[in-house]
Amino acid sequence: MPARGGVTRIAGAGGFWGDQVMAPITLMEGADVDYLTMDYLSEVTMSIMHKQKARDKTSGWATDLFDWLEAGGLELLKEKNTKLVTNAGGANPGACAEAVLGLACALGWVDCQIAMVVGDDIHPRIEHLNADGILTDLSGIEVGEAMVEKLISANAYIGAGPIGRALEQGADIVLSGRVADASLIVGPMLHAEGWAKNAATAELPLCSPIDSWAPMEVLHPLDIVAGWTLAGHLIECGAQVTGGNADSWAEINDLVNLGYPIAEIAADGSSVITKPEGSGGAVTRANVAEQMLYEIGDPASYFTPDVILDITAVSLDEIGPDRVAVAGARGRARPDKLKVSSCYSDGWFASATLLVPGPQAIAKAKATDYILHSRLAELEELVIHTEFLGTGITMPKGGIELQEDLPEVMIRWSVKSPNRTDVEIFGKSVAPLVLTGPAGVSGYSARPRPRSQLRFVPLLVNRETVEARVDIPMLRTLRKALTERRPDLEARVFNRLQRISENENRIITKRIAGRVLRGLERPVGRGKVD
Amino acid sequence: MSTVWLPLGVLAHARSGDKGDMVNIGIIARERHWFPVLKQGVTSSWLAEAWEEQVEGRIKVYEVPGIGALNCIMEKALQGGGTVSLRTDAQGKSMGQTTLTVRVEVDRALAEQLGVPLDEASQDRRGTIPIPVLA
Repeated sequence: MPARGGVTRIAGAGGFWGDQVMAPITLMEGADVDYLTMDYLSEVTMSIMHKQKARDKTSGWATDLFDWLEAGGLELLKEKNTKLVTNAGGANPGACAEAVLGLACALGWVDCQIAMVVGDDIHPRIEHLNADGILTDLSGIEVGEAMVEKLISANAYIGAGPIGRALEQGADIVLSGRVADASLIVGPMLHAEGWAKNAATAELPLCSPIDSWAPMEVLHPLDIVAGWTLAGHLIECGAQVTGGNADSWAEINDLVNLGYPIAEIAADGSSVITKPEGSGGAVTRANVAEQMLYEIGDPASYFTPDVILDITAVSLDEIGPDRVAVAGARGRARPDKLKVSSCYSDGWFASATLLVPGPQAIAKAKATDYILHSRLAELEELVIHTEFLGTGITMPKGGIELQEDLPEVMIRWSVKSPNRTDVEIFGKSVAPLVLTGPAGVSGYSARPRPRSQLRFVPLLVNRETVEARVDIPMLRTLRKALTERRPDLEARVFNRLQRISENENRIITKRIAGRVLRGLERPVGRGKVD
Repeated sequence: MSTVWLPLGVLAHARSGDKGDMVNIGIIARERHWFPVLKQGVTSSWLAEAWEEQVEGRIKVYEVPGIGALNCIMEKALQGGGTVSLRTDAQGKSMGQTTLTVRVEVDRALAEQLGVPLDEASQDRRGTIPIPVLA
């Protein structure tokens, strides 16, 4: 897609699986963007998805994607010629793509192309990788066999290359597994600026260093990749850069209708962060600065699969209302290893709360907690963490102090144990406190059920062994398939399907399409063909 | 050198987040040119004292001079990580805001020279002894 006005407009309309589901629709209704990106994956999302997939082969991906696509999002993408790039595929990009393809067929988008980025899942061969010594922890130490056996998922963070190449091949929608968050934004830039085309022409591998894809005249491709990566980092958490979670919250207009971010990204790596006109929130230097530092380590060496990003000299300038210019990112050659997101099941967990009223709210709360602890004392492996909410539990030393007693206190217990039964017993011990503890205790709800806890384990793997297997299979809706299989019938089938869709207000399922096709293939005289 | 204590929130704003068992707090000077004062006030030992009950690992403070900010890394800060922590704030999301309520010690002359408001400054770390008003 050619860049418009010298910049490519890329939106980040979701920060995690659980963010506002319909945000991408609101965004597309409020602004024109070339690409819509959606980051659905956090550290443990992959493991949760692997568990879902084990129970049901069609699950294991971020189904919120389907909900907004079905609610009008897919038509908007088509109408506005906006390309969608998302890691919603999670642990099961194939099933995700099947579902989206089915929807595209049903809505009559007959020439939709959906690309998958696959190859991030290294769990099936993790024992082999570990035995070969190409898997380590973050400090480079080999991972023990016992640990490897415990892992229930392991996905390497893939870079932007395959996304760029999929778009280059004509994909309307790119659905990936564990692609690194910021790479979702870098991928479209590779296509928009012609780097992916260069790579395709030169037949470079999908995962070769993307700075080597730059046109000859580009002098500092790593700085450009760094700039694109920074723009991606700024918008991949959605509205956290447009006024969400901001220190200046009290001054921000209309958090109710908080707008999601758009990055206008230039060929030289600089960008402008903005949001749809008329939406709530504020794109200010302060809010962008907070997001720039969000969840990073050493600011001179932020590792992504594409580049090592240095933000120490980055400048942020307010160049207009809700417009902040970002420049000065620097890049060094990408790391030799890919980070791996993996998890194992680590016991059972539950939490419960009770409300304790005054007078003497704190004394009553402490007594209530003492009673619970004493009643559960025999459960040696049960760990109980008590918080008296409202008394300063989030405060560091020297922060706001509790001056006197409170009108009421909320007690929150959270517990863990390797034994499920311990956690069940805890669940049954909270409600009785209402009748058998200090006066006036309330706020009890259903018995908390034990939940399996997942412990996140970041690992490193040699990138060659992963990247050699990365692929971008493409699915196409009916018309593409027909064009290839039966060019003689293609136009007639398409017309018929469109009429059914428009006149009869019916959705075109694969079944209906199949029936139409079979009807056309019947011997002359037995079926009416138009 | 005469110093004063003032709430970090006067000088800076902040946002915190997690990576595994690590918490980072990005602390940004409210005015870019207040950065030298911010660097005086926020040190790894200051953070270690404030968060001694919650943080078990090393603390590092990195400079981000382009935007007048510090990025503070606190290891072993989440009881093993956001998914296994028993705290309500399992991912350290409130730590940036609450850090702003703690007082930092800074050079008074430098703060005044750079126009940092000292209305809330005190002579002691608890904020109980107001600073004398200079004529």
